[in-house]
Amino acid sequence: MIINILILIIPLIASIFYKNIKNSSVIASIIELFLLLFLYFNEGSPGFFFVDNVSFIFILMVDSIYLLSLLYSRKYVHSIKNRGISENFYYLLMNFFYVSMVFALMVNNYGFMWVGIETTTISSALLLITEKSDTSLEATWRYIIIVSAGVTFAFISVILIYYSFHTLTVTAIIYSKVKDTIAIRLAIGIALVGFGTKVGVFPVHTWLPDAHSEAPSPVSAMFSGVLLPVALYVLYRIYEIFPLKELFVWAGTVSVLFAAIFLGYQKNFKRMFAYSTMENMNIALIGLSTFTYLGLIGSLLLLLSHSFGKAGAFYSSGNIYKMSDTKNIADIKGLINNKMSSVSLLLSSFAVTGTPPYGTFFGEFLILYSVLQIHFYAQFIIIVLSLFLAFVSINFNVTKMIFKGKSDYSENNVGTLIPLIAAIISIAVGVVFLVVYNEIL
Amino acid sequence: MSIIYTIIYLITALITISGFYIQGNKYIRSMAMTQGFQSLLIAIVSFMLGFVLKEYTFFILGILVIILRMFLVTYFLINKIPKNKSYLYESKISITYLLIMDLIFIIISIFIVYSISFIYIKTTTFPVSNILLFPLLLFFQGLFLIASRRRTMAQVLGYIEEENSLILLGVFILPVPIIIESSVFLDVLILVVIFSVISIEKPVHEKMEELRG
Repeated sequence: MIINILILIIPLIASIFYKNIKNSSVIASIIELFLLLFLYFNEGSPGFFFVDNVSFIFILMVDSIYLLSLLYSRKYVHSIKNRGISENFYYLLMNFFYVSMVFALMVNNYGFMWVGIETTTISSALLLITEKSDTSLEATWRYIIIVSAGVTFAFISVILIYYSFHTLTVTAIIYSKVKDTIAIRLAIGIALVGFGTKVGVFPVHTWLPDAHSEAPSPVSAMFSGVLLPVALYVLYRIYEIFPLKELFVWAGTVSVLFAAIFLGYQKNFKRMFAYSTMENMNIALIGLSTFTYLGLIGSLLLLLSHSFGKAGAFYSSGNIYKMSDTKNIADIKGLINNKMSSVSLLLSSFAVTGTPPYGTFFGEFLILYSVLQIHFYAQFIIIVLSLFLAFVSINFNVTKMIFKGKSDYSENNVGTLIPLIAAIISIAVGVVFLVVYNEIL
Repeated sequence: MSIIYTIIYLITALITISGFYIQGNKYIRSMAMTQGFQSLLIAIVSFMLGFVLKEYTFFILGILVIILRMFLVTYFLINKIPKNKSYLYESKISITYLLIMDLIFIIISIFIVYSISFIYIKTTTFPVSNILLFPLLLFFQGLFLIASRRRTMAQVLGYIEEENSLILLGVFILPVPIIIESSVFLDVLILVVIFSVISIEKPVHEKMEELRG
């Protein structure tokens, strides 16, 4: 309990040092990583907070990407010319954003989980206008109105859960006897649409490419790498009450298919990575929805590896945007001359498209296997075809940006190390999994 | 006792009618004021239910609605509407067309949502089961308002209308614990403030080439 409270309070304490918030936030995020070690060994019995192995992986993911994004932001945000919010306010919002995500992951109550998810919208909305333009204002607006309307719809699900169980305590409900009533089925169906808006489920995903493409790169990395998985975690906790496999697996499959189709005609590389996030989140949703052990392991592996890979992809995108002043794929040429940026972009793009030996590859493999285990063959075929389409679309565009033509971009004013570290961690997740898996076998 | 239930039923119907009034209005300030009135009606329903059921949480809920929804939210909205006449009045929309579309959308949505599923959910606070129709009507009206208008303020009002419908739905099905309800109210209040901040910079929303595809 004390560790949970400390995890929530430390970033807020860091925010008190407003004038030096840039440094205090980084220190706070490092302390948070140490606290996670204590949390792992002292999970404790469920009370107001509830942290099991599943939620722990999500918290670890959020904290790691938060630290990387803070480090990457130091150079990136400082160099933004037309800022919509001040640099210090940016870090303040980042801290609140992080706290709201961790709160949603740790709390043992569906009502407060809803509050946590809604608070992530509040704290992250203004981050989108850090690089202020007419387009980023419109994207911010779409993000707030679409996500808020969706998450509001999800509150009906919370009301129906309370109506069915007369409690909102997660552990009390998921460990109780399984109930099959229309109210519960409705609650879970509504949660899919409501929280699905934030996860990026088709057709309520429309805010996602706009927000990701217009947000500053470290914020895009936070959105893609951890915000969507946090919403997926809440959806999964509701799904655990009564798994509607058919509905959820089909919703995920259709979303993956559409994401792969959208990926085929993207002109903006940040939008392309945004649709890749939609694809990956829905693959993870499918894995969780199979409600099998392998599906769960596969999803967690995919999400963990994807969070680092996608953070690397967005950091690299940020560097490319800074160097070239364009987000248009066709206008980017000869990145090969910028060794660090091209390597990190290539590694990240392999990570998010599920290339071996990345964790995403093993995650997708286990998820596909779990889909076969529950005999959803039609969905299996659609997912495999979509994955292939997405792989080709993204890697074709990325290799074109790197190897085609010549350029004279300069890497002097961008942070090249953090994107590379993020991409390498994504490989490490896969390799570690392989080693551990061999040991178990 | 049945008279009180009838009054509650009529007030709830009036709340839905106020939703139609907002939909059929071109004046942003008047729409915001109607939203305040709608919140007051919800608070009255909450007070009456508290009185009938002898449950103090309904009174807290009613007070929260009055303070946060009726006063603070309406105050923020009205003060953030730009004084320029073109922002106060939506001249480009056809109200008759929108109202007809609203009715079609609501009838289809309600038919799907209510008749398939909500009809089986029995209210614990109100003996007449079809009262759940009203909050659902309001919810879909809110959604339609967001989708049909281009002005930032009109879309914000659609969102608040959605939120109002949820309070009403909660009150009739089974009110969730007051601590969660109040956190929800505060969340929404902050969202409305953010909405208002953005509305100063971007009062109208049109399609943008950069955000296509």
